Amino acid sequence: MFLSIENLRTYFYSRSRRAFVRSVDGASLGVARGETLGVVGESGSGKTVAALSAAGLVAGSPGVIGGRIEFDSRNLLEGLERYVKVEERDGRVMAAEKDEGGWRKHAESLMRRVRGKEIAMIFQNPRAALNPYSTVGAQLVEAIRLHTNHKSKAEAKERALHWLERVRIDSPRLRFDNFSFGMSGGMCQRAMIAMALCAEPSLLIADEPTTGLDATIQARIVELLGELKAETGITTMLISHDISVIRRLSDRIAVMYAGTVVETGAAAEVLRPRAAEQHPYTAALLASVPSAETIRSKSALQAIEGEVPDTIEQPRGCRFYGRCNRVTDAVRSRCANLEPPLAEAGPGHKLRCWLHAA
Amino acid sequence: MSAILEVTDLSKHFRSRRGLASALTGQGRVIPAVDGVSFYLKENETVGLVGESGCGKTTVARTVLRLTDPSGGRILLGGRDITHLGRAELRPLRREMQMIFQDLDAGLNPKMPVRAILREALTVYERPSDAELARRTRELLEQVNLKESKLANFPAELSGGEKRRVGIARVLAVRPRLIVADEPTSALDVSIQAQVVNLLRELQKHLGLSYLFISHDLPVVELVSHKVAVMYLGRIVEMGLAETIAHQPRHPYTRILWSSLAEKQTAETATKNVGGVFDFERPTHGCRFAPRCPLYQEMGRPAVCTDAASVPPLRDMGKGHVVACHFA
Repeated sequence: MFLSIENLRTYFYSRSRRAFVRSVDGASLGVARGETLGVVGESGSGKTVAALSAAGLVAGSPGVIGGRIEFDSRNLLEGLERYVKVEERDGRVMAAEKDEGGWRKHAESLMRRVRGKEIAMIFQNPRAALNPYSTVGAQLVEAIRLHTNHKSKAEAKERALHWLERVRIDSPRLRFDNFSFGMSGGMCQRAMIAMALCAEPSLLIADEPTTGLDATIQARIVELLGELKAETGITTMLISHDISVIRRLSDRIAVMYAGTVVETGAAAEVLRPRAAEQHPYTAALLASVPSAETIRSKSALQAIEGEVPDTIEQPRGCRFYGRCNRVTDAVRSRCANLEPPLAEAGPGHKLRCWLHAA
Repeated sequence: MSAILEVTDLSKHFRSRRGLASALTGQGRVIPAVDGVSFYLKENETVGLVGESGCGKTTVARTVLRLTDPSGGRILLGGRDITHLGRAELRPLRREMQMIFQDLDAGLNPKMPVRAILREALTVYERPSDAELARRTRELLEQVNLKESKLANFPAELSGGEKRRVGIARVLAVRPRLIVADEPTSALDVSIQAQVVNLLRELQKHLGLSYLFISHDLPVVELVSHKVAVMYLGRIVEMGLAETIAHQPRHPYTRILWSSLAEKQTAETATKNVGGVFDFERPTHGCRFAPRCPLYQEMGRPAVCTDAASVPPLRDMGKGHVVACHFA
């Protein structure tokens, strides 16, 4: 695996709740070189926090607590455990002490050569991620001179124009001098993608790249990401709650729920409707989007009752137990009392469910 | 079935006050946000309104509810002309027509617990006794499927789905006949979206509500709507039964809208055609879609499409299906 996250734990202290929230709680996933991993799940399931952890961009305390993040055979959390002390009682985090200074200094030394250069990220709101005081061109030139061998201004400008062309921005020479507020949302997202790719990173993290854009523009951005994937073969971690986007672009899928990964496998396998080997949560997610059949018969959507649980207390049993509609009497007591392991269900296909545990 | 809402030739023009020209002349550029929109909504019926952002969907909603004054046209609510009614005359009619906003927090006072929010809504038009108030509160909770324990919670303590339910309960409190739902699900997660869509359909069945349902989520619109109107830059370009619009669209824009959905789902890129997508012109005369229209390009740019004097009229295709295109 090119990027491999193992048993990652990222916690935050919520002042309003006066408790620690386990945003990511023992998540494990991997992205192989050249493939696109789609990460799906409802909001609050920990998708974005997992990605930010991998990019070393978690703000807030205590933040990343432990686990392994191996990127290109380097553990980005190497030897960091000694800065953290977590005290748990009855599934609740009572206290978390983190030597922030020590952690940051050590983590930055591991991360410096990686973030921006090796790992690039695009965000949901491109307008907020672009600097409003600087033209698109100037921002691209800065990134190119910083991260690549094109150090001269003229050369960097050539590269910048090249990237604006590659993300199919029309009249790139004109757009080069535009500020982000003078451009439409779709165009900002293209500029953002150019910005991420211009450093020629080896891993791209795309966090909800199409959310908030119009339907027609969404389709164009998805198309662009598909083309860039084919052209550059860049390894991508794509995060979205939009299953249609995930389906279109991903080779493999990780389904997240309440801070952990409940299913991973090949896209075709995981997203197949009514598959036999499927996590009940994945099945429910697929069923809650109107299908051609639902629309034709005008029948009710299959909603997942209830909401994503807050992850303050570690559940004794399966995290999805309270909302699961597939529990049988044979497994009920195990579901309620014991968290299922992420177990092999087939070649390259893993499930965290007692129904499918061997 | 009678029409609960009838909108004829509605327009709403905004004046832009930016730029040197407006400073010198004192007159801004006129922006026709809504221009000649006509449709009607029958009892117990849902009309879906789709189109890209900026096409005037929300302005239609706000104008229909007289939250902003129309620049022209006529609005009939239950047969009564409300186009020019004043504030005081509108007040009793407001209980007939209510709006659900995209923003989950809209209408939820952050300093009031759910119980007080519902009490306020229940006492706007009526003076119920305490017992009656308690009964109606319970009834509302039941209708939107919310636990009674939530009454003591403040909005900040509710999840997105719960906030949406309280918002709906609040609207139902005045027993409206018409609900304008502006992107009611877009701030919610897919699984919660499904709950809310189901809830809105249930309520329609039981209470005989009429919905003007605005959304950019095409499958959801197709599922909940009887009729769908497609808007482009302030005008309705196509309208008809939901299944007709989704499966046999005639207007090139409607086709692009629905094919972009299919494209997102499959690897096919059948329609590589939205010429000059990124920064298209916004003509205010002739056919407004012409600069992006694949059909216009294919047919060798016919002059009639860009002729300022000939806006394509909505032509009747039968079965209430109307299309505003010279060549569709």
